[in-house]
Amino acid sequence: MLEAAIEILLKTVVILALPLGALPLIIHVERRGAAFMQKRLGPNRVGPFGLLQPLADVAKFMFKEEVHPTHVKPFFYTAAPVVALVVALLPLACIPVAGPIEAFGRTIFPEVFRSDMGIFFAFAVSALGSYGILLAGWASNNKYSMLGALRACAQMVSYELSLSTSVVAMIFVYGTNDIHQMISSQTGYWFGVIPQWGFFYQPVAAMLFLVGIFAESNRLPFDLAEGESEIVAGYHLEYSSMKFALFFMAEYIHMIALSALFIIMFFGGYSLLPGFDLIAGNNPALIVVLQVASLVIKVALMIWFFVWVRWTLPRFRYDQLMNLGWERLLPLGIANLIVTVLFVYFRNR
Amino acid sequence: MAIDILLTLLTVVFSLMVVFSKKTVVAAFSLLMTLLVIAMIYFQLGTVFLSAVQVLVNAGAIAILFVFVMMLINLEQFQNNREKSKWKLIVSTLTMLVLLGVFALVINNNIEALSVVNLTDNSMKTLFAKLFDVYYLPFEMATVLLLASIVASIVITSHDKAEKLEEK
Amino acid sequence: MEFAAFIVFFLIACTLAGVLLGISSLLGQKRKTVREMDIYESGVNPVGSATRQYDIKFYVTAILFLLFDVEIVFLLPWAMAYKETTNTGFMIGGFVFFMVILLVGYIFVINSKALKWEE
Repeated sequence: MLEAAIEILLKTVVILALPLGALPLIIHVERRGAAFMQKRLGPNRVGPFGLLQPLADVAKFMFKEEVHPTHVKPFFYTAAPVVALVVALLPLACIPVAGPIEAFGRTIFPEVFRSDMGIFFAFAVSALGSYGILLAGWASNNKYSMLGALRACAQMVSYELSLSTSVVAMIFVYGTNDIHQMISSQTGYWFGVIPQWGFFYQPVAAMLFLVGIFAESNRLPFDLAEGESEIVAGYHLEYSSMKFALFFMAEYIHMIALSALFIIMFFGGYSLLPGFDLIAGNNPALIVVLQVASLVIKVALMIWFFVWVRWTLPRFRYDQLMNLGWERLLPLGIANLIVTVLFVYFRNR
Repeated sequence: MAIDILLTLLTVVFSLMVVFSKKTVVAAFSLLMTLLVIAMIYFQLGTVFLSAVQVLVNAGAIAILFVFVMMLINLEQFQNNREKSKWKLIVSTLTMLVLLGVFALVINNNIEALSVVNLTDNSMKTLFAKLFDVYYLPFEMATVLLLASIVASIVITSHDKAEKLEEK
Repeated sequence: MEFAAFIVFFLIACTLAGVLLGISSLLGQKRKTVREMDIYESGVNPVGSATRQYDIKFYVTAILFLLFDVEIVFLLPWAMAYKETTNTGFMIGGFVFFMVILLVGYIFVINSKALKWEE
């Protein structure tokens, strides 16, 4: 009993600490990346390479005045950032950071809870992400906030449809919905070099999912929820100090969680990167370390991709965004699903 | 054991708040909380899939509709539409008594359907196998029903006919 | 067991968010002026209230999302049941019928221009 409790606590702490600890670094990379693409220096004064800048920002957020305007709905106004952050953290609960570990005479699964339906849980919970935004927009009682929240919500639900079709296609292709089995069926190599990642089986589904992540986490070019040239800052306009910071954290954690899911389905999750298996050999401890490293490297590359796209593409117009979601991506997703199913059926017959 | 009693109590409290809260907004969010707590009960019983579907469809889509309505119309003008009425109290008490009676009957007679209910993810898989085998026709009928609701929702919300009449 | 782990995770996440909010409200500066409590509307005096009539299309989007979401949720167990079944031809036939009806609904939605935002 005590052993189990310690195990749960340890897993929870590790899985919460990984993304939250990486957050300041990610924000720093985002700012330096922006500077790099715009041929300026970016934050480079605080600490070596400006690495201490995010910590200074956190301290600043703590000591800022907490403006609590008189026109807001007090309870929902305070609840919204908490809801946003907690909901963003929840999908992480069933994302494994490494393969099953054989230790202390039993198998330990390195995710908070193990279930073969975990992938549905992660999707369902990340779909709740719109509530934090809706609550914030409505409770702020401000036109800009309200518009931002409505836009964000309509956008998130529209892109969730095409994202779900790609999930159905992947479950069909793998023939399993268990995350560990999905990853283990992606561990092989073609010609000894090209890893058998899901991306190569289902490039269309991967593309749909990728666009879906951008829309779900409200990142450019889909950040119409906060389009600063139209509605100032959207749903978090009336928020200040730590409450604003919680929204900020929620956006990045949502991004990390969805990227991790993307990597599990299309890029082999925690399976070793090409070349790592030569280093690992047969040492089980080393394999676990390298698996965590592989996952972290893959997520880091995804985050860099997010930064890259952010400073490359301009923001959509709202009608373009909705047309893309409903008239391009959704039929593409359905067509991809039909083609996949019929292909698998006729090949196996 | 303690946790299921707590979850059941929470469900009851939130659903009572849906019915009796004075503010429409509080009612809408209580509905959301009721649906989420029910999802947690499914999880606690052992079906992660059912709880995920509950969150995805009921909490993620249906409750969003309610919240949207709440945001899209000016609620200030309907401040007092949830006034206390003794009829509401009487009707809801009666309904609750009838429901309790039905439950008492079911539990008392130990109806077979209840005794074999064993909600786990594995029993869900058996259910799917049945759904896409013996019960394929009802399943397809469900999609026809969905098609009908798509058509209905478009027809109700579009202003085409009204606008054409105005032009005439 | 899984549920206990989830509850622990959930409670720790909630506590974390609460503690972060608590820290800033304890340490934050307290200097209230009347103007900063006002609605932010790009510096001018606020006009009207925030709860006004918004476009019905937001609502149509939500209701259509609900209907298509239910259809896709039906497909999830279908994809899971396919690998277990031996009668694959029957399963595929049902799938094709399902998709045809879904596509009819989808084409109706697009033709009705209920989701056109241009005008």
